[in-house]
Amino acid sequence: MTGRQESHDEHGRHRTWAAVALVAGMAVLLLLAVTDLPREAAPLPTVAREAMTSALPAWGSTEPVSVVVYGSRGFDTFGETFLLLAAVASVLLLTRRRERRAGFQGEEVAATRERSEQDPHPTSGRNEREARAAEREEEREDSDGPDASWSVPPRLPGLTVVVQGAARVLAPALAVAGLYLFAFGSSPGGGFPAGGVALGVLLLLYAAFGRHLVRQVTSAAGVEVVELAGAAVIVLIAVVGLVAEGSLTANWLPLTRPGGFRSGGILQPFSGAELVEVGTGLVLVTFALLDLRHDWADDTPEGPGREQ
Amino acid sequence: MIVGNYLAAAALFLLGLFTVLSRRNLVKIVMGLSLMESSTYLLLISMAYRSGSTAPVLLSPPSGSTEQSLARGNVADPVLQNFCLTAIVIGVAVTAVFLSVVVRVAQHQRSTDSDQVRGMRG
Repeated sequence: MTGRQESHDEHGRHRTWAAVALVAGMAVLLLLAVTDLPREAAPLPTVAREAMTSALPAWGSTEPVSVVVYGSRGFDTFGETFLLLAAVASVLLLTRRRERRAGFQGEEVAATRERSEQDPHPTSGRNEREARAAEREEEREDSDGPDASWSVPPRLPGLTVVVQGAARVLAPALAVAGLYLFAFGSSPGGGFPAGGVALGVLLLLYAAFGRHLVRQVTSAAGVEVVELAGAAVIVLIAVVGLVAEGSLTANWLPLTRPGGFRSGGILQPFSGAELVEVGTGLVLVTFALLDLRHDWADDTPEGPGREQ
Repeated sequence: MIVGNYLAAAALFLLGLFTVLSRRNLVKIVMGLSLMESSTYLLLISMAYRSGSTAPVLLSPPSGSTEQSLARGNVADPVLQNFCLTAIVIGVAVTAVFLSVVVRVAQHQRSTDSDQVRGMRG
């Protein structure tokens, strides 16, 4: 065993013992906290009782959870929506491929004279030649049809006909269930779980039929626009409440009969905008991760990560 | 005994914390963080529970009672259910950000071992 390996193992043991000590300390704190938590027989907190009793008279809704999510704590949901948007933007930024250019920029031509002055006899090494070849290959894949990008690495077009048949039956049923959850779902219904169901439908189709079937629906350029439209509607609902009623996310729509599709004033439009926002956001992050392709960084001993 | 749920949530949190502190593999660290997130879902839903309660829905009250009597009756806490709902969505988004960072680190450094990833050291 080399000295470096010994030091590595020693470091690993220290790490484990430090973790055990910290976890033990945290366990004591959590045990103390658990003894102070409300038990199953405790009365509901005032804020929960208020949410229960005000749902019908103030919002005309039979869904106290929806009233809390989109009504009385609507500002919390408002902030959370934009936290989700920021996370989606981060994932897209981290996973994006090289950006396509709208046209010829001319750097190569513009830099030729200066480069020949600095380096009159350029010699390109093997690494540079391979990187340039891989770059040209990726550019060719980008400019070809939708299936071209599947050449590397090879992927299966889909699963067996049995799974595909089952997916054909289940996907529409799941989509309708998701819409029902949004329109009439109870505790918790609304846009958040319905957005999760929308992602589930697309993942089912992706697993059964392969990427090409859902490529059009999940292309980042189109879905981003829909997601931002959902966020814009949420901002609009909140700002109109501020202007018309003096409070952000206050209800400014007439209340209808409880239990119907339109009951709850702004709750249903807010929930619909969240369905769009959450559904598209989850689709964007999931398919951005699934679409992460191989990179063409050198994998030889002198390549990246081996030089430290 | 709802205390059992609380202890299970604490155990799940500690398991996640131990994974984050003791593992070097970045994917395992993300899994540890996900475990810690999941423990909060269990804790919030357990705190919302009341023995013998119904779901906080004011639809179709049983015969002899009204929606308002249902509202004042024994129900689960709707505010904590709301917290859990938002926590799940944020948890998914944050995990996706972590995983994208891990994939990029793995692609650039050819390793998911946090000890090997020292490009930003110093």
